Amino acid sequence: MSQRPVTIAFDVMGGDHGPLEIVRGAAQLTLDTPHIHALLVGDRALIDQALSQVKHHAERVAVHHAADFVGMHEKPNAALESKPDCSVMVAARLVREGEADAMVSAGNTGAGVLACARNFSLIPGVRRAALATVYPTAVGRGEKNDPFSLILDVGATVDASADDLVAFAIMGSAYARIISKNEHPTVALLSNGTEAQKGPARVVEANQKLQHIAGLRFIGNVEGVDIPKGTADVVVCDGFVGNVCLKMLEGVSETVIELARYAYKEKLLWRAGLAMLSSGIERIKEVTDWEQYGGAPILGFDRLFIKAHGRSKSRAITNAGKVAARAVSKDLANAIQGMLPKA
Amino acid sequence: MNELEPKLPVRRIYRWDLDKTYLQTDFDTFRQLVRTAFQKAHEKKAIPGAAALIRELRASGDSRLCIVSGSPTQMRTVLTEKLKLDGVEFDELVLKDNLRNLVRGRFKAMRGQVGYKLPVLLESRARAPVEAEEVLFGDDAEADAFIYSLYADMVAHRVSEPVVHRVLEAAEVYSDDIERVIKQWKEIPQADPVRRIFINLDRLTPPAAFAHYGARVVPIFNYFQAALVLLGDKHLTAPQVLRVMIELVQTSGYNLLTLSNSFQDLLRRGLPIAGVAEALLEALQGPAAVFQMVRPVPDIIAAFSKRVVALGAQPPPPKHRDIDYLSLLDDARPRTHKKRR
Repeated sequence: MSQRPVTIAFDVMGGDHGPLEIVRGAAQLTLDTPHIHALLVGDRALIDQALSQVKHHAERVAVHHAADFVGMHEKPNAALESKPDCSVMVAARLVREGEADAMVSAGNTGAGVLACARNFSLIPGVRRAALATVYPTAVGRGEKNDPFSLILDVGATVDASADDLVAFAIMGSAYARIISKNEHPTVALLSNGTEAQKGPARVVEANQKLQHIAGLRFIGNVEGVDIPKGTADVVVCDGFVGNVCLKMLEGVSETVIELARYAYKEKLLWRAGLAMLSSGIERIKEVTDWEQYGGAPILGFDRLFIKAHGRSKSRAITNAGKVAARAVSKDLANAIQGMLPKA
Repeated sequence: MNELEPKLPVRRIYRWDLDKTYLQTDFDTFRQLVRTAFQKAHEKKAIPGAAALIRELRASGDSRLCIVSGSPTQMRTVLTEKLKLDGVEFDELVLKDNLRNLVRGRFKAMRGQVGYKLPVLLESRARAPVEAEEVLFGDDAEADAFIYSLYADMVAHRVSEPVVHRVLEAAEVYSDDIERVIKQWKEIPQADPVRRIFINLDRLTPPAAFAHYGARVVPIFNYFQAALVLLGDKHLTAPQVLRVMIELVQTSGYNLLTLSNSFQDLLRRGLPIAGVAEALLEALQGPAAVFQMVRPVPDIIAAFSKRVVALGAQPPPPKHRDIDYLSLLDDARPRTHKKRR
């Protein structure tokens, strides 16, 4: 049976590698998946030039011109005020108007979230949106044996209440179920101890409430050390803690790489040891390759926004489009709403 | 057409390739080649919209359909039957006599396309009225854009004899055949008949790959695009384009999204079709019952208009440049001899 067509709006002007890489990714999407259409938003001349050089299926591509764009280092609020017709804003507007079903951007994260807030509506029962991200873990999960867990919020809502944390848990669970094909994902709260009474009042209260949510596989609290271990499929925290946590995990990874570089230069024996491990390291790199995941979703709005990494190349963009299309086809917003406690 | 009816003088000639232009053919592997060779007429599939487009182009009664295909002459019966099944009437069907090439030990001629198609086109042109204009249809699998462009420029005398010589040598055409082509060319009265060369993007080659051939060559992703351009060129009327569109919708799953995207793709490439949306609107609002099935009209018009508005200002069309055939010699070589890109 043919699937219903899904249109994904791509903010072509965002990202470190320029429009060509985004256009390439979107073009590949039109070749891989007949039911996904790409709506490319950005400078029409640049898009035309890029598109004319790459294999694509023109029947599944449309272009919408947007003269401005928000730079990676611009302040989101000021940028959107001064450039109401910037590419990310136009893309969000087109999604709101029904010209596209979801949006993908590798540009300025704050501008993307703000563009969503100005154009989309929050799902009834959700007070705040959450930015989710995936993190490589020691164990795989779901039908695809994904070696990633989902962490949310990592920066959209700095100060979250107990009810917000409950909503984040439900949103994360629904997303993991649909995207990772993990039928019963485990959900945990990030705290400073595994006991239910540990942590600030909002975390303790959220823990109490989550125990009574039907259909949610809540396993209690986890500590920071449990994130890379993969103890839970979905880790829930507020945006402040999540962002600090994420940056620290990134810092640790970078330090490990630096140490390996140092060891490589320092001693022949260490170099030989690293060389022997290289195939294993390559394999780890393969299975934890974030590009296969495409990007991080902004959850809580009635429309989906996938925030691709700023340094995304075409493969990551293609995958971000596939993730967005899957979420649309499986009606993620409805799945979330169905699980939320009735007011 | 009724044979007793007086035939109108030929005003237009439509030249078509068959495999990958009219027919959906896979012969990239030996297995596919064998399967294609043994397919019966009813098993062969036409590319969506191709038959409808040909029928509409032939409707005025003052055109000629000339088919030149690289398929072997042994397939004449099955191909003729297939075209008949599709309601396509042709005036010429030239197939490649590879058995003769084999017997004569002309193995290069078995592979080559330039040495086969160019003389056939010139020979057909020699029989055509000087004032008859031409539209050519090929694909991106072989050297159609190159051969058709060279043919057009040879008839118009825009290319010199030494250049033609070098091209034919690069295409591995035997020297006696080169002499024959040159002789044939010189006998054709000078004219500039070729209006458009449509290249069906069977392999989804990026359109920019054909930019060297100028605006006359139009790469297309489907035959709705060809119909739109031909409406702009006044070879078709708006109701005729709508009939091609209806066939695509009814038989091949095309919808508003794919049709409006196809329309916008042509606009982005600078094809002069901005006015055709209005012509289609008028035709849709007409009384013809056949168009009831593509209603509601406002949705169709809104979809097309949105795609126009979404683009902002239209950039100026590309400047005309003569084709430098010597820099494109690789396109003339048999596929197996092309440089890797």
